[in-house]
Amino acid sequence: MMNIGEEKSDSVVIVAIEGRVDGTTAPELENRILEVVDRGDVNVLLDCAGMTYVSSAGLRIFLTSARKCQQSGGRLMICSLQPDCKTVIETSGFHTVIDCHDNREAALATVS
Amino acid sequence: MLTFVDEILLLMLDDEKGSFLPIRESTMGYVLAGAVLMDLAFANRIDTDPSQLMVLDKTPIGHSPHDRILENITTSNETRDTKAWIETISREASEIREQSLASLVDTGILESQEEKFLWVFRARRYPTIDGRAEREVKLRITGVLLSDETPDPKDVAIICLADACNILRDVFSEREINRIRPRIDQIRKLDLIGREVSGAIQEIEQAIMAAMTHAHH
Repeated sequence: MMNIGEEKSDSVVIVAIEGRVDGTTAPELENRILEVVDRGDVNVLLDCAGMTYVSSAGLRIFLTSARKCQQSGGRLMICSLQPDCKTVIETSGFHTVIDCHDNREAALATVS
Repeated sequence: MLTFVDEILLLMLDDEKGSFLPIRESTMGYVLAGAVLMDLAFANRIDTDPSQLMVLDKTPIGHSPHDRILENITTSNETRDTKAWIETISREASEIREQSLASLVDTGILESQEEKFLWVFRARRYPTIDGRAEREVKLRITGVLLSDETPDPKDVAIICLADACNILRDVFSEREINRIRPRIDQIRKLDLIGREVSGAIQEIEQAIMAAMTHAHH
């Protein structure tokens, strides 16, 4: 089960994820992010405060989405990871290819 | 469309001679097992996390070794992690390899030649007759490793497999490999199945080294 919220802060669209991002829910998240980027909002912040689990399928969507944002001239950021998900992200080295921040404020401060 | 098994086998073959580059049998087994799992993962049939491998959809994908393996995973009574499945599937490596080679011959990418040596022994070689597919894979690999761009997950997967069996040396010079090693290390961590394949190969290599050291003493 996963819920997705969306709000805008200046030039950044914040996509708030709640629940599990796995093989069943990841396609919905991917479609949502692609929809955002396709309408011209190329800076996307994934707020993961409510994300309780992320599988390999979920991580692949993070990568595909980051690539899409980059190719469109923007970038994807992640913030507010819970400890278990943070461990998964760091073990797999995703924090070296996607900007990860402790909270929304820290992430938004990096966007001019 | 080529599977990861097809792509990594093309990279493992010496194009002109049609024989396999020198790769340890156990390494080839783990790499082919990982390639099958990557094919199933990218077809949304399985999903993984550090502690388990889960079936999402048991619908066959249309490749016989993959579909048989998917059925085995589906009907297995115990939950196992990715590494355990890589070890199990690696025992079927020769069948996975033969079926993929047959398919690459059918599609006109390779040709199959049988040669005799010492009058009795027979060996099969697979020279490349259409190199476009392999060139395309190599282009994808160089594109990712020579840039800072966010990689496509499919390119990450093939780089993991190629690095695990040490065949990037067939794509890059030794000097280039040393220069891009930090990028290779960054990329190969991004795929969990690829990480588990590398881990399994490293364990075998360490065991062999330990046995050799022990034998010398």
